[in-house]
Amino acid sequence: MGRLHGLLRYGMLSIIIPGVFLFAQSREAFPSDQWSPFNRQQMELAGLIVSSGDRGDVFIAQIEDDGAEASSEPSPAERETVSPEGNASDDDFTDDEFPEDGFPDDFPEDDFPLDEPSGIRDPLEPVNRAFFVFNDKLYFWVLKPVAKGYRVVAPEPVRVGIGNFFYNLAFPVRFVNCVLQGKIHGASEEIRRFVINTTVGVAGFIDVATNKLEIKKYEEDFGQTFGLWGLGPAFYINWPILGPSTLRDTIGFVGDAFLDPIAFIVDPTEFTLALNLFDIVNQTSLRIGDYEDLKKAAFDPYIALRDAYYQNRRSKIEE
Amino acid sequence: MGSKRLFIIMPSLVLTLLFSAPVLGGAPTEQIKETTDKIFAILTDPALKAPEMLDEKKRMIRKAVDERFDWTAISRRALGRHWRKMTSDEKRTFVSLFGQLLEQTYLSRVGEYSGERVSYEDEKIDGTYGVVKVKIISDNHGEISVKYRVWNKQDEWFIYDISIEGVSLVNNYRSQFNIILMKSSPSELIKKLEEKVSQE
Repeated sequence: MGRLHGLLRYGMLSIIIPGVFLFAQSREAFPSDQWSPFNRQQMELAGLIVSSGDRGDVFIAQIEDDGAEASSEPSPAERETVSPEGNASDDDFTDDEFPEDGFPDDFPEDDFPLDEPSGIRDPLEPVNRAFFVFNDKLYFWVLKPVAKGYRVVAPEPVRVGIGNFFYNLAFPVRFVNCVLQGKIHGASEEIRRFVINTTVGVAGFIDVATNKLEIKKYEEDFGQTFGLWGLGPAFYINWPILGPSTLRDTIGFVGDAFLDPIAFIVDPTEFTLALNLFDIVNQTSLRIGDYEDLKKAAFDPYIALRDAYYQNRRSKIEE
Repeated sequence: MGSKRLFIIMPSLVLTLLFSAPVLGGAPTEQIKETTDKIFAILTDPALKAPEMLDEKKRMIRKAVDERFDWTAISRRALGRHWRKMTSDEKRTFVSLFGQLLEQTYLSRVGEYSGERVSYEDEKIDGTYGVVKVKIISDNHGEISVKYRVWNKQDEWFIYDISIEGVSLVNNYRSQFNIILMKSSPSELIKKLEEKVSQE
């Protein structure tokens, strides 16, 4: 129980401190006589929250820092349309130089405005890049060799089964967040999946729900819940070991950790940690080569990963 | 943080073109399926099974892919506003190299095909533009959702963007190219492209 207390205290701190930071940031944005926590428009402009019109219509605005690039994005409703208009550019696009490409006048240039780098603020970029290099070395020098060795002794079906086991255990996080987001159907489907896989699927090792019954997964977490409630990502953080995240998702991660059944069932903290590490090694063993491919395909893997993380999280919140 | 699946974005591209499934869709889905069927036939052709036939296999797959992917459109979208600033020669070189890079990156995983299934989920058409949504089901990587953006040129549908798990390929490269082109010239980017392509 003492451990739970410690975790609670740590968890509260990790919510309060960023909360204070966000609060302070918003106060800087507006002089105190104009600022009001209830003024949604100001909060939106400060990048603190995300306004939602229709369901799924989300617009993120970010203020311009001195020196940093201004960025604004079209609503996903626009992006979800089949023929995206792109955004009005300052100059007219002319095809004179390359007439043979045959593009119509309304051919979309891209889904995001022309001046936007990757859609997420990255004030910590030097630090993030350093951690990126650290994680890269960690992967090649430690994680990959261990995973490869593990791969030799454990056949693939076993490793897939173990992956299913851990995935099944993470049911509470998915369930709670479905409920928090009002996704009742998702919540009930997740219950179905959990019950079926735990019983017929032998403690979760066999993913009967997907393989035989094709029940859809609803992979919600606290980061997505906060996003749906209107909290903006704020900025990008690339954690050592844990990898890419945002301020919002990091807070969400703490919330997720609270609901990790392993932490409740298993008492010594070291054993919980060991199990989590085992899960990581097991996952890695199934995905060796993916990170290498990303590096090979990218000109700047750091940016590629940051952008991929950002796009992925946005699409998960919207679905 | 649950983001490990991001890494499968790139190699998944090839997997989306594997295997066919019964589908009720319009012309875009049909044509994508056509390409898919062609590639599947190549992959399962017994005459090409031998290891020394791998290069020939890749060449044939490349040809099939070229028929459906509009490399010029993809390049143009990936460069964004920088496209306008390039000369015709630079554009030509870029399109050719970028297409090669994308093909190389994805075809490297062709040898690992192991019976993934593709399910055609949805299709929307709006004038000359369309979206086709597809799901790849594999044993290793679970389910991967893929979205093709297509456009119509003389009654044929071509792919101009592909999003895997919500990550658009074009946007991902756009972020990188934008940063590179803010500091260096198109010819320098082309040189970088050349280096990458010859790394293979």
